Amino acid sequence: MAEIIFIGLSLSSILLLVALGLAITYGAMGVINMAHGELVMAGAYVTVLSGIWLHLNIIAAIPLAFLVTALIGYLIERLVVRRLYGRLLDTLLATWGVAILIQQAVRLEFGLSFFGRHIAGLGVGLQNVTVPEALTGAITIGGVQVNAFRAFIIGVTVVLTFATWLLMYRSSFGVQVRAIMRNPNMAAACGINVQRVNALTFAYGSGLAGVAGVMMSGFKTVFPDMGTPMVVDGFLVVAAGGVGSLLGTILSAGLLGQINGIVASVTNDILARAMVFAVVILIIVLKPRGLFSYRGR
Amino acid sequence: MDAKRRLDYATYAVFIALIMCAPLVLEEFWLNRIAKFLVYGMLGVAASLCWGYAGILNLGQGLFFGLGAYMMAMSLKLASPTSLQQGSDKPVPDFMLWNAEPGAPTDLCCINRGSFLWLPFQHQWFGVMMGLLVPVVVAAGLGWVMFRKRIAGVFVSIITLALVLLVRLVLIDAQPLTNGFNGLTDLGYLTIGGFEFDPYSAATYYLVASALSLSLILARMLVETRAGLILQAIRDDQNRVRYLGFDVPVYQIFFFAVSAAIGGIAGILYVVVADFASPTFLDLTFSITMVIWAAVGGRGSLLGACIGAILINTIEARVSETEGFLQAWRAIIGLIFVLVVLFLPRGLAGLANDAGEWLTGRLGGGRRRATAPRVASSE
Repeated sequence: MAEIIFIGLSLSSILLLVALGLAITYGAMGVINMAHGELVMAGAYVTVLSGIWLHLNIIAAIPLAFLVTALIGYLIERLVVRRLYGRLLDTLLATWGVAILIQQAVRLEFGLSFFGRHIAGLGVGLQNVTVPEALTGAITIGGVQVNAFRAFIIGVTVVLTFATWLLMYRSSFGVQVRAIMRNPNMAAACGINVQRVNALTFAYGSGLAGVAGVMMSGFKTVFPDMGTPMVVDGFLVVAAGGVGSLLGTILSAGLLGQINGIVASVTNDILARAMVFAVVILIIVLKPRGLFSYRGR
Repeated sequence: MDAKRRLDYATYAVFIALIMCAPLVLEEFWLNRIAKFLVYGMLGVAASLCWGYAGILNLGQGLFFGLGAYMMAMSLKLASPTSLQQGSDKPVPDFMLWNAEPGAPTDLCCINRGSFLWLPFQHQWFGVMMGLLVPVVVAAGLGWVMFRKRIAGVFVSIITLALVLLVRLVLIDAQPLTNGFNGLTDLGYLTIGGFEFDPYSAATYYLVASALSLSLILARMLVETRAGLILQAIRDDQNRVRYLGFDVPVYQIFFFAVSAAIGGIAGILYVVVADFASPTFLDLTFSITMVIWAAVGGRGSLLGACIGAILINTIEARVSETEGFLQAWRAIIGLIFVLVVLFLPRGLAGLANDAGEWLTGRLGGGRRRATAPRVASSE
């Protein structure tokens, strides 16, 4: 039983890792960023590339991936999302286009493959990341054997969630973000630089995706398509948890991860995932605003 | 009838004439390919009806397409020579035999636990009927739940998206019945009155082309009825229509189901043309790709969305001979899509519309145009 709960916890932490960034971009900014999965993918490729070219291990890749994906996110906000605030479905569509562009950039090695040049670590193929010795194998927590890397992921997720909570609820930047979330015009009238704060918030959410990507690369194969299922999962977690509620996202990731783990233990992984989708549909039909929604104006 | 509308109808007529004449110049291989793209054109029509006219962004149109396709493929699978030659007097799909438990009877009724569901599909028309009925019933049921509860905007998109992925997983998991990831391949021909529709024949092309023309004409007639006008009013301001005393969900459910029916028929025809059905029809990517076709062609125009689908796929097929070009083309599509959403929400049809307006303004002495579909503002 403890083992199943740990597996559920591990699945929850992965869901939360991806959903955390979306909770900020979708929840706080009202932008459905379908390129989020591609930012996760970009984070995973940063790990691959930094391993090949800079001989950095996976832990050292975390800050690097954060910076790279935050920069990509910043550019997406400046070039595309900025023009679409208030048009929720259009942000979904436009960022899907951006997602295709990022995927193709990796596949085509930024266009270099046209000229017969290749960059090791990019391209259409599969990539792998080796995890350092200390994070492989199993460790024993409270009498239960757990996979060390999975435990590491849970730890990273807790730290990131805490950092996000601090940023959003205990810093002046967070106050500005939440003010914009409630009423952008009023916030602007109070002297908040709405454009700058929005761009930085989007960059932070994207950076979280990059860190999620580093974690994913440790136990999954890295390839250009890897992000699509992740963005769907993350998006559903945020929608089920309630838009604009960090707590809702955390709880909904916990709930869906446990459901996934428990159903998988009695049937199989495919049906477990199907069950997660069914629960999300049920939640949205019964409570369209999600389990814990912020009541905005 | 004013000049603008006359021009509109003329465009429809020209388009239909063009696709009907295409077999005169196309060789067999391209005929089959274009027939596939005409099926995609039907999906464009369905997307435009749902999104452009009803304001419902369905991110799970692949569900209706996939259901239609699987229903048809089940019937055609039983009609294939391999299914008929499995040592039983009744047809049995080959994959069921490969996976059968030792000693299981070689009969469709009980070769595995769910195989009896296949029994009625021995009649081809049952498959065709189900291919139409199942999507419509699912859409009506789903619409009933969603629109009665006044779920709108992005939440409809989330639900449809989750549902298509859910059904896809169930389909894959029901491996003994559906052949899982591999889908249904090696199918027989659709036979009507003793005539076999070979996927590479001109007859099959004409079947698809007439279905596309019919659905275009019917959809166009439908949106010009009173109900169609009310639907567009709902898209623009749901509450106002509700206050006027109309039963809003009824209109939404009806048009959602019509769009699903077109999707289902497209699925049926795709199986006839492409000779397989697979879970990839229910991939998220495919459903969003349909939205891209409609957006680029013009979501507010049935014909525009249809042409968008055909155009994008034809270009993709042209460049796909070289792997590098194909990947680059996909990147270009991504870029075009971003630009269309940002700067050209009415798509190519919007451009054509402006050009047509300018033209009729010149010729017709500047008469005002009647109700042309306006692009729905999202959310």
